Amino acid sequence: MTEFSPRIVAFCCNWCSYVGADLAGTSRLQYPDNIRIIKVMCSGQVFPSYILKALELGADGVMVAGCHIGDCHYVSGNKKAQERVETLLRVMKTLGLDPRRVRLEWISASEGVKFANTVKEFVEEVKELGPNQLGVRE
Amino acid sequence: MPHAGRWQVNEMKSVLVIGGGIAGIQSSLDLANRGYHIYLVEREPSIGGHMALLDKTFPTNDCSMCILAPKMNECNAHPNIDILSYSEVMDLSGNAGDFTARVQRKARYINEEKCTGCGDCTARCPSKVPNEYNGNLDKRKSIFLPYPQAVPRVMTIDREHCIYLTKGKCGNCKKVCNAGAVDYEQKDTFVDLNVAAVIVATGFDMFDPTHMQEYGYGKYANVITAMEYERMICASGPTGGHLETAPDKEHPGKIAFIQCVGSRDLQHNPYCCSVCCMHAIKESILAREHYEDIKPYIFYTDLRAVGKGFEEYAVRGEKEYGIKYIRGRPGQIIEDASTKKLTVWYDDTVNRKVKGLEVDMAVLCTSLIPAKGSDKLAAILDIELDEYGLYKSRDELTAPLDTRRPGVFIAGYCQSPKDIPESVAQGSGAAARATEVAGGAYI
Amino acid sequence: MKQIIKRTKAYYCVECGKCSGSCPVARVNEGFSPRVIVERALSGMKGEIEGDRELWTCLTCEACTTKCPSTVKFSEFIRGMRSSAFNSGYTSRCSQGGLLHSIQRVQSYRDLVQNRLQWISDDLKTSTEGEVLYFTGCLPYFENLFSGFVNPLEIARSTVKILNKAGISPVVSPNERCCGHDLLWTGNVETFQKLARLNVEMIKESGASRIVTSCPECLRTLKLDYADFLEGTDIEIVHISEFISSLIKNNDIKLNRAGIMTYQDPCRLGRHMGIYDAPREVIKSMGELVEMNKNREESSCCGVSAWATCEGNSKQMQIERLIEAKSTGADMLVTSCPKCLIHLRCAVHNQIPVEKEKVDIPVVDLTVAACRALAGE
Repeated sequence: MTEFSPRIVAFCCNWCSYVGADLAGTSRLQYPDNIRIIKVMCSGQVFPSYILKALELGADGVMVAGCHIGDCHYVSGNKKAQERVETLLRVMKTLGLDPRRVRLEWISASEGVKFANTVKEFVEEVKELGPNQLGVRE
Repeated sequence: MPHAGRWQVNEMKSVLVIGGGIAGIQSSLDLANRGYHIYLVEREPSIGGHMALLDKTFPTNDCSMCILAPKMNECNAHPNIDILSYSEVMDLSGNAGDFTARVQRKARYINEEKCTGCGDCTARCPSKVPNEYNGNLDKRKSIFLPYPQAVPRVMTIDREHCIYLTKGKCGNCKKVCNAGAVDYEQKDTFVDLNVAAVIVATGFDMFDPTHMQEYGYGKYANVITAMEYERMICASGPTGGHLETAPDKEHPGKIAFIQCVGSRDLQHNPYCCSVCCMHAIKESILAREHYEDIKPYIFYTDLRAVGKGFEEYAVRGEKEYGIKYIRGRPGQIIEDASTKKLTVWYDDTVNRKVKGLEVDMAVLCTSLIPAKGSDKLAAILDIELDEYGLYKSRDELTAPLDTRRPGVFIAGYCQSPKDIPESVAQGSGAAARATEVAGGAYI
Repeated sequence: MKQIIKRTKAYYCVECGKCSGSCPVARVNEGFSPRVIVERALSGMKGEIEGDRELWTCLTCEACTTKCPSTVKFSEFIRGMRSSAFNSGYTSRCSQGGLLHSIQRVQSYRDLVQNRLQWISDDLKTSTEGEVLYFTGCLPYFENLFSGFVNPLEIARSTVKILNKAGISPVVSPNERCCGHDLLWTGNVETFQKLARLNVEMIKESGASRIVTSCPECLRTLKLDYADFLEGTDIEIVHISEFISSLIKNNDIKLNRAGIMTYQDPCRLGRHMGIYDAPREVIKSMGELVEMNKNREESSCCGVSAWATCEGNSKQMQIERLIEAKSTGADMLVTSCPKCLIHLRCAVHNQIPVEKEKVDIPVVDLTVAACRALAGE
């Protein structure tokens, strides 16, 4: 039996976290390749439905990464992201989906290390949670 | 005899005409003038039908009563015509050429021979009820003439509202009647008539749009039916010819006519009532003749102007009388509770815009439906009804005025929706058909 | 498309325009006209209709369908065209970023184990098997999303309380799925069918012969659209307002006076299902009813349908409806649909384009109001 290799989707905002991810790359920091990065202009742009859709389509984990509170390029976009992810987590609990599959992080452009570590941690957690059953087609 | 061949001259028999509207009147006169004896049975207190309630007729804008009254009087004075008003046919037995019709003569509590129609009784009657002959816009007394030109000119006591008949009090009319014509003891009577043929010309009734909530009839003061409008604009009507709008009785600035209310509607009557496009144009023209500044709008689905001179009438309406024709059946009328003005919401299908038009008065051109009791009468006469409740012709194409029962003929709106000229024509046509069984000269 | 036209009698259309004249959306949105869509369909313009953004603007409120003189079933027609568009690859417009539709789709997965009974407090009696099933619908999810300005689960609690008061301990299943109404009306017929099958299994397992629901959309869907799936069973489906009304008639419960109320007829309960009187009887037994100008069949939709289009036009409709309600002078606006409740409250939750006094009438659910007014509580 092959070991479960989670598929993670990460929404990274253009101004901070994506640059942070870049930095991790240019610094040659190792982090698992289970992650697919989707660049958005702001973490606030990520609707809860995108996260849920990713899970619907089979993602085992979804990460949303944005600027630290107070540093958002659009002033309050990341606050919106926080509210939205909180709403989504409530929904996931009711739906019976494990809320640990969704993670919200604030990663600045200079935090390449934080990015890499966050991804490593998250992949390990999701490995323990096991594959997302929704992705299994009937 | 000017023609070759053998003639047989039979004794001229009697014909029963059921319905004293314009078609029935025409049949009666045609036959009576040829020497036949006519029994004209009408269930209202007066003959005349709906034509008597109109102000003017299209497309000539002739005064309706001015054309009708002479004919009504001719019927009354004609030696060959017996008018049985306030009466209904209860049974018809026998065959073509030899029918026996049982007619119920409802008690009007007035001796028809003695009553002169002077009106002293009406003046003293204390009982007022909504006047159905004026679209319920005003009141009449319980002893009444439906309208000044009523034929026969005798009073009728409305047994449901007369104080003496219902409660045993009053009796004013009897006291003031100089002719001694009031007779509270009168009973309904039955007469048996021996006739050779029957012509049914029972006409129509008006569709009641109250349950069509979208138009707000009955809820909004300024939404009225076309018949109410006719009575309002008629100089002998309840408002003396003035169009009055709530709340201050001012005449309307903008008036909307809504066609096909209850017609061409699979949820109500699928057929086209055939006259409402034309009468809306007529009513708009009348509105302009009364008030120079009035702006009429006609909301139509198809403008059906198919008779002689009708299209020209429609165009004249637009060019000379400022009628705006809008193709679009309105979906809703909403009233502003404080001003009582109405907003008509419609889809202007030509310009493809959905708009709301603010008007002061909306006239619903309601459908004309088979006369109440048509189904009962059809069973009595043993004739069929079509899917709309109108009487069925033996053959729509070749024998439209015949029914499945030989000797029973139909004419006018009760056969199919039509206007006054066509009703007159069918009246004459039915008269000609009736002669086939009613005697006269045959080859 | 020919099948859709045939099934919905769209070919009867005479272009009279009464539909667009009745349409509440057409009055605020110039680009939308029911008549034009039918005209296009009859001209064979399938692609144009499917690709048209305005296909999703229709509220399927049936204001047009009830009036059409040619008896064209317009709401079914739109439903069919949306399904056709979906199959051609178009996605529906979705409000709330499509979250509600996602939630509903997720519920179509057989092995999902939801956590949806947290709202059942100790004073409420429910069962796992029984004759009466309470179909909750999406209320737990609405609570997750909208608890900032509305309490959807209070409707659920009130419903169970009233059922308990009538001596019924309803089945509330943890395996209940969304009835699928929104997915069905936005073209996703396949997922709707999955949800239907799962729900019917759940219903049969419960042994219920009667289903009570507090949502008119669930009512319509269970009664009409599940007909094929429920074939062979003899299950009665009622709306809570009908149930309360019959309890009052039989003197099983009594309601105290709650005030002067005006009532919003939900589209699905009113025009779709023809239920106008039962909610009114409940209201009259707990106070006075003042009707708005546009009531019963003329009632105006709350502005959003199936979580599809929600935009400025919707807000305009909602504000106009609230102004109409406030001007009746009633103490509160009562509605018997959780969605009407949410949409009308949402309209005044953030920015209000008119003076607050014009629209600040409280919007209350009928079941919640009845529960609060229960005599002897």
